[in-house]
Amino acid sequence: MKELLLEVLGWLGYLERFPVLLQLLISLALLTLSRLARQRRWLGRLPSLAYPGVGLSLLALSCLLLWAMGQPHGLALLLGELWLGWFGLSLLHRLLVGRLPTTTLHQLESRLLRPGYLLMATLVLISELDNLHDVAVIPLGTLFGITLSIEKAFLALLVFYLVLVGCGPPAAGLAWLLQRAVGMSDGSRKATELMLRYIVVGLGLVGVAAHLGVNTTALIAVAGGLSVGLGFGVKEVFSNFVSGLWLLFEGSVRPGEVLMIDGDPCEVRRLGLRATLLWRDRDNAELLIPNQTFFTEATTTYTASDRLRRSQVNVGAAYRHEPARVIELLETTARTVPHVLSEPAPKALLLSYGDYAINYGLRFWITNPMNNVSICSAVNQAIWQAFQQQGIEIPFPQQVEYQMVGPPQTQQPNLGPH
Amino acid sequence: MTALNLPPAVLPFCRAGLLLAALSLAGCGLGSRLPTVTYIAAGANTDQRLDAEMREDYRQHLGLLQDAFRQLYPGTTFQLGLYPEDQIIPAIVRRSNAGLDPDLLYINGDTALQLLQAGLVAPFPTDPGLEKLFHPETLARLRNADGQLAGLPVLVQTQISCFDRRQLPEAPRTLEELLRISAAGKAIGLTVDPVNLLWTAGSLGTLPALQRTLRGQPLSPADRQAIQRWLSWLQAANVQQRITFFASQPEADAEFLAGGVAWIPCRSTALPMLRRRLGARLGVAPLPDGPDHPASAVNRLRVMALGRHSSEAGRQRAIAFSRFNVNPLAQRTLTMGSQTVLPANRFVSVPVQSSQVLETLNTAAAQGLEANQLVASMHSTDPRMPELKALITRVVFNETSAAAGSDRLVQILRRTR
Repeated sequence: MKELLLEVLGWLGYLERFPVLLQLLISLALLTLSRLARQRRWLGRLPSLAYPGVGLSLLALSCLLLWAMGQPHGLALLLGELWLGWFGLSLLHRLLVGRLPTTTLHQLESRLLRPGYLLMATLVLISELDNLHDVAVIPLGTLFGITLSIEKAFLALLVFYLVLVGCGPPAAGLAWLLQRAVGMSDGSRKATELMLRYIVVGLGLVGVAAHLGVNTTALIAVAGGLSVGLGFGVKEVFSNFVSGLWLLFEGSVRPGEVLMIDGDPCEVRRLGLRATLLWRDRDNAELLIPNQTFFTEATTTYTASDRLRRSQVNVGAAYRHEPARVIELLETTARTVPHVLSEPAPKALLLSYGDYAINYGLRFWITNPMNNVSICSAVNQAIWQAFQQQGIEIPFPQQVEYQMVGPPQTQQPNLGPH
Repeated sequence: MTALNLPPAVLPFCRAGLLLAALSLAGCGLGSRLPTVTYIAAGANTDQRLDAEMREDYRQHLGLLQDAFRQLYPGTTFQLGLYPEDQIIPAIVRRSNAGLDPDLLYINGDTALQLLQAGLVAPFPTDPGLEKLFHPETLARLRNADGQLAGLPVLVQTQISCFDRRQLPEAPRTLEELLRISAAGKAIGLTVDPVNLLWTAGSLGTLPALQRTLRGQPLSPADRQAIQRWLSWLQAANVQQRITFFASQPEADAEFLAGGVAWIPCRSTALPMLRRRLGARLGVAPLPDGPDHPASAVNRLRVMALGRHSSEAGRQRAIAFSRFNVNPLAQRTLTMGSQTVLPANRFVSVPVQSSQVLETLNTAAAQGLEANQLVASMHSTDPRMPELKALITRVVFNETSAAAGSDRLVQILRRTR
């Protein structure tokens, strides 16, 4: 590692050379000015895309001038080419917007295109300063008895990253094929996809270890050491990972399931390595809950065996109305509300005699637990309409007041009109 | 401390200004505080694999000189970049265009001359006192048409033979002995690479014919016979059960290290690696001579050439380091310390009595004198080399007869680049 640091620091010595400094100054000045000009609209009605073009043209002219003067210009030209490539990526972005889903495009750019480009640019710049192959063989240190060179470490990380990022689409495709062949549910398909990804990533890890030349004895020794480490240091991380795998196999927390979190129905969006991502309809919030929580604590689900939910609204009617009539009206009303299932049939119940009203409960079934609030609202509105039409009063709170007079013997109930 | 409140409109200008100022300072003010780095690009033999081991060998090899140099010029650091010799010219073209070429190039003499002719290295400053240290013919090989010197000779790398003492108590001294020990069951390794195989042409007396061919001079029937004799010998050698022709030197080295072959031709620069693996089992000897002619070992004169875009201080350091490397003390340190190279300074005697390796290297240097001219006129990066290799492979594996092969060889060598 020390050798690598000395190598990198040693490249700073090139700044001692005036032609190198001049090329850097020209390139960076034009890049900065082009950004400033675009931000502050110095060129009036010119579209924002034209600004890098102007900057690049000026850089090309500068290179031409340096060449004509017999001065080195390759570094400025290279920086210009890299700038052009970066500009090309933003053009590609514009081309792909609308053709790819926003999330996919964002992932493609942030996980593959831009890191890949930056990596390529770094390698190109290094090859300008040194022989890339020579730098690649610099030893970084010893790991599990093998000497790790920059090349080995770099390739191992690159392959692992590509496996991690790139195994999604093939795993999704295979899971889809399995779903078609076996007839599994969407939740099972997503679980299968995730498990396939874990398997591919696991195989990738083993492949990388084999590429590095790690022998199995060393791996076993590492696993032994790791188990002690897991017991102390990264217990929570490992616990969440294992919980996630367990939940996947068990099928209780899969993407698409609806769970009650703090009294709100939430839909599982993604089961990650460490945490589960849920979506709460009430406020469109996304909740990240450690997998271990679902593994160790009781959770209410509406989607374990079916997706039906029995819902209930409460309403009060005045004492003067016949309870049987009210109950029949409530049940009839519920049947007319869209998304309320006719079977199992809605059921109204007289719950209690309140201070100023008889309290009824109307229970009904719905198919999507996430729509509970909106359907309850629709049912309540329908009840108001029905009561209005049938002349059934939903009474306001009523209270009987007595005026206290002294002495107590002279006290008479206040029977007068209120 | 109070924060400086600048209007947002001014901030971008300030940032740009700071960046430019920082860069300017880096070049001017900070320049003097940066470590004084001398960049060295070294060309490695193309027949050796560029790996961590080779990098370490070069670092140690140059480190012998650098440590001594730092006693005179403290604070100087060296940054070494290794390139295979056949890739160094395109790399220097690219880096020179960017002004990022090395201060010094540690390369073969013929490569340095090529670079000078292409304007990619600066001519080495004339110094009659310094030039006296070398044989005039050595310097003549390093001069362009204008008499400019491509680089300062530093040392000589030689081609020798390496053998496994566990399998062979003594190395063969002649080609006859080589065939005899292979017939006796000892495995011999050769390569089809023309440069590595040229020594056999010397042993068989073919070298003058090859030189005349290369110069475009008319060939006598005896010359043609000599070329045919060489190719016939190669063909006959491959028929021997215990002689193996490898496609490249790294393959031959690997088989030698694995104990698969008992004897191979090798380069003196490979000795540190072979010593590390084989220890006392490694034996070295000059390449086998022929009945009437010595082997023509292909030796390499290594020179220090100057990059074109060094700063003034960098150029001075590079010249000082080059001059330092040819002083008798440094040359002796290099020779005795590494035991893989010979001094280029003709006034430095090699203590052959004290080391069998140095004696071998010295003999190899003498063996290679005859081949020097031929090697100089056709270097390892010559575009005809792959064709020659293909031809030798076909002849060795009897796909082309020695007679047809010799005609084709003459055609290839006579073709100008």
